[in-house]
Amino acid sequence: MPAAAERIENGPASGGSAVKNGFLGVASGYYDIVLVVGGEKMREVIGPKATDVVASMTHPEAEYIYGVTLPALAGMFARLYMEKYDITHEHLAMVAIKNQENGLLNPYAHIQMKITMEGILTHPQAHVNSPIVADPLRLYDCCPVSDGAAAVLLTTEEIAKKLKKPRVMIAGVGQATDTHTLQERSDPTDLRAVRIASEKAFKMAGLKPKDIHVAELHDAFTILEIAESEHAGFFPMGKGAKALENGETRIGGKLPINPSGGLKARGHPVGATGVAQIVELVWQLRGEAGERQVKDASNGFSVNFGGFGNNVLAFVLRREA
Amino acid sequence: MKTITAYKCKSCGHVMFPHHYRCLNCNGLEFKEIKPTTKGRLLTFTIVDQLPWGIDERARVLGVVEFDNGVKALGVIKAANPRIGMRLRAGWKPVRVIAGEKVYGLTFRKTK
Repeated sequence: MPAAAERIENGPASGGSAVKNGFLGVASGYYDIVLVVGGEKMREVIGPKATDVVASMTHPEAEYIYGVTLPALAGMFARLYMEKYDITHEHLAMVAIKNQENGLLNPYAHIQMKITMEGILTHPQAHVNSPIVADPLRLYDCCPVSDGAAAVLLTTEEIAKKLKKPRVMIAGVGQATDTHTLQERSDPTDLRAVRIASEKAFKMAGLKPKDIHVAELHDAFTILEIAESEHAGFFPMGKGAKALENGETRIGGKLPINPSGGLKARGHPVGATGVAQIVELVWQLRGEAGERQVKDASNGFSVNFGGFGNNVLAFVLRREA
Repeated sequence: MKTITAYKCKSCGHVMFPHHYRCLNCNGLEFKEIKPTTKGRLLTFTIVDQLPWGIDERARVLGVVEFDNGVKALGVIKAANPRIGMRLRAGWKPVRVIAGEKVYGLTFRKTK
């Protein structure tokens, strides 16, 4: 003390934006050490009020006045995406079940509860547990409203070398924007910002999607985990649901996605999420993730999705030898 | 009937709603103000059962409509059994009360 302090507000991508700006501060040589803290307190108000506050990030004239919510945008996206790529409600439920199973292994997860296909989808009374939020999306297709915080310390290679922990490097950062409203996108099923941000992060890191051992994707809605896994390049378009079905994205699979439980189970304290994703990757790459450890993970990847895909950050993290 | 105003780029013809200072297609700076046609078709929709604070309805159908002249806009769908591709006719009704004032917006009913 004294240090310097800044506040970064970038909606659901605030965490990723803050990590990126901290990274730029150190990489430029101006700072030796930057502490990035993300946090959000959302449960001081009842659900409909929290939903309204989050919805205020939609376009004031073309969207907000109609009562559109983030789940509503995701519902309209899901309807088109599911039809285009033959994705079923079962696939969406598989994302929720997998991520809540992972969340059970994460002591920091907001939701610690095992769920079943019968309980959230196939039983005739399943709608009692998982009512429609914004059809086709049900309650268990949506992340919870959470309080939470996460922090990472960024520093130079020289200082990191003096520490006893294995070093994890931010090898690639990518960011891209898309139109504010969904209706302005020529192909509303194309998450252009996810695609471009991921390409940039991979290019900077000199790595390819096949080199990644663990990924934290922004599953604010189950459909987004599938769509992002395709747009980031891990699976061809339309093949993400099949990979999920085959268990490729479980811990122990070819590419574990959201071993932390993702937004679905770890929770989505909006400004904390992008930082929490980096924290999880650091734990995974250092081999400190406990029961949810992905074996021999040395390269990690994250997507932090702002708005409804209008401002997206992607990171490639690499463990140094 | 009152309705939204859309913007047609004078250089490339790209139609935009809402307004932007530069054309999203060609970066053009000049636009002609246009009104959407009365009819269009439904591109996608969702039935929202969990509405935000301030809308006292059990559920509301929201959808994106492409008007016959290419304008695309979100609105409240008041047609039974909505489906993609359905023909709709636009209306202009109060859609929300904000700070005590009625706010008008696009509503859509079934048509041929």
